[in-house]
Amino acid sequence: MKHPSQATLALHAGGDLGFLARWRAERHVARCARCREDFAAFLDLREVLPDLSETPEISWNRLASEMKANIRLGLAAGECVRAEETPLRHSLFSGARAAVAVASVVALLVTGLVLQHPAPDPASVDGVEVQTTANGDGIQVREGGRALRLLHTGARSVTYSVGAQGAMRARYVDPETGNVTVNNVYAE
Amino acid sequence: MAIFGLLGAASLLAQDEVLDARAVKINLTPQDAPVNFVSTTMGESRVTSRGAAVVLDLHMSLEMRNASPNRIRGVVLRVVSQEVAAGGKASVAVPSLNIGPGESFPVRIDLQLMRPTQVAGGPLVQVDLDGVLFQDLTFYGPDRLNSRRSLTVWEAEAQRDREYFKRVLAQSGPEGLRQEMLASLARQADQPQLDVRVIRRRSVSAAALAPEHQAQFAFLRFPEAPVYPIEGSAEISGGEARAPRIQVENHSGQTVRYVEMGWLVSDQKGQQYLAASLPASDPELYLPPGKSAQLLQDTELRFSRRGEPVTIQKMTGFVSQVQFADGKVWIPNRQNLQNASLLQVLAPSPEEQRLSDLYRRKGLAALVDELKKF
Repeated sequence: MKHPSQATLALHAGGDLGFLARWRAERHVARCARCREDFAAFLDLREVLPDLSETPEISWNRLASEMKANIRLGLAAGECVRAEETPLRHSLFSGARAAVAVASVVALLVTGLVLQHPAPDPASVDGVEVQTTANGDGIQVREGGRALRLLHTGARSVTYSVGAQGAMRARYVDPETGNVTVNNVYAE
Repeated sequence: MAIFGLLGAASLLAQDEVLDARAVKINLTPQDAPVNFVSTTMGESRVTSRGAAVVLDLHMSLEMRNASPNRIRGVVLRVVSQEVAAGGKASVAVPSLNIGPGESFPVRIDLQLMRPTQVAGGPLVQVDLDGVLFQDLTFYGPDRLNSRRSLTVWEAEAQRDREYFKRVLAQSGPEGLRQEMLASLARQADQPQLDVRVIRRRSVSAAALAPEHQAQFAFLRFPEAPVYPIEGSAEISGGEARAPRIQVENHSGQTVRYVEMGWLVSDQKGQQYLAASLPASDPELYLPPGKSAQLLQDTELRFSRRGEPVTIQKMTGFVSQVQFADGKVWIPNRQNLQNASLLQVLAPSPEEQRLSDLYRRKGLAALVDELKKF
């Protein structure tokens, strides 16, 4: 048989166990003479405790009042500290700092949008188009956000020609090879 | 916090990496092909993520070798990226070559792809040989981009212009050739160029169906041209032209398989520009002697110059090339171009561009030596 601990018996004497622990403790105490004696001793001790509060050498009630006062003082001091911190928090997120924070978030969002759509073109059309690149260093065939470009970076003199069927040609002398090179893109 | 924002943006911008070699697929030619890929260098090729978009910068140099007994006159490489441009493709052509048997030559490809998302697996770009033209005008390659016709026309122009400059050298000496080169370089510098944007629409809007007026073409006729233009028009609205069409008739004794018209426009000040070429729309064109056909393109062209729309006042057309059923081509001769003042408007041929650049870089003696090679 496993006996309950002294602490469990003491709590049981004071009526401080939970439902299941109390049921188990009662069941054990009813069957075990040794634990029943310990339990009875704890009940006796409980009966004499109120008298101890009036022991002249130790003023338990005064001690409790002082402890309560100290706790209240601590809580009041805590409230004072919080009251002083509040303006600090407001100054951290107000005025110029808040504006900078908002501007930063907006800048980040705008940058993200731009990067999500790297080549926005308000004049884009529903179809395939061929044209020179925006900075003039090549020709491209594009459709929506997709593009295929042939570049002639570094070429000195470039002649462009267009085919009405949807083609574009850039002709130049390759500065590295010295050969005439003809780049073509087709929207066919 | 602003600094953090900028740092965040910078970190997004900095999401680039060296291009994986597997991103580019080079379809090698068969071992018995008359031209082979020898090596490939990728240089500073990179992939950069910009938000949800992926930008690929490809700087590639292909070393090719002539494995045939003939001299190579031109080569075309096809560049395809299915995911990037649906219906779009590109090519890099090198005409005016003179590569002997066993000799190697480089072809550079500077390419940029932009697409919305990263696609897992598979090459981003495929490069393959579309065709190679030899000195005897024989051709090798799949010819998916009509490279045979383009290379043949460029070779015909090269022979025409080399003969012209050799004749000038013979008749007027080195100083006469120098004057021709200086005139060519001046024409190239002064050549008026339009910014043209060609749009092939998926759907036609109501605005696209409401032209301001139907403008008629005027025509330049070359007496010995095998095909004559009859009549033609386009829908014009300010600086935009739509749906150009030209009726042509075969005046030669041979069947014609391809016709291309040059299309000139004049602005309000009378300045003339080469706007575009108008090719036959039917890839299976079959035009017997005496018959007529219509060249028609269902596209929209927007003309501008220095950012401002160019209002079209006049349109002129001329036959710029014809291909017969036997594969031979006709192009205007030098006198045709001179008489019609087209030399001032048209770009020089690739060969004239190469020879004038050689004169500019290396001088008259190098040019004379080059002409003697042919």
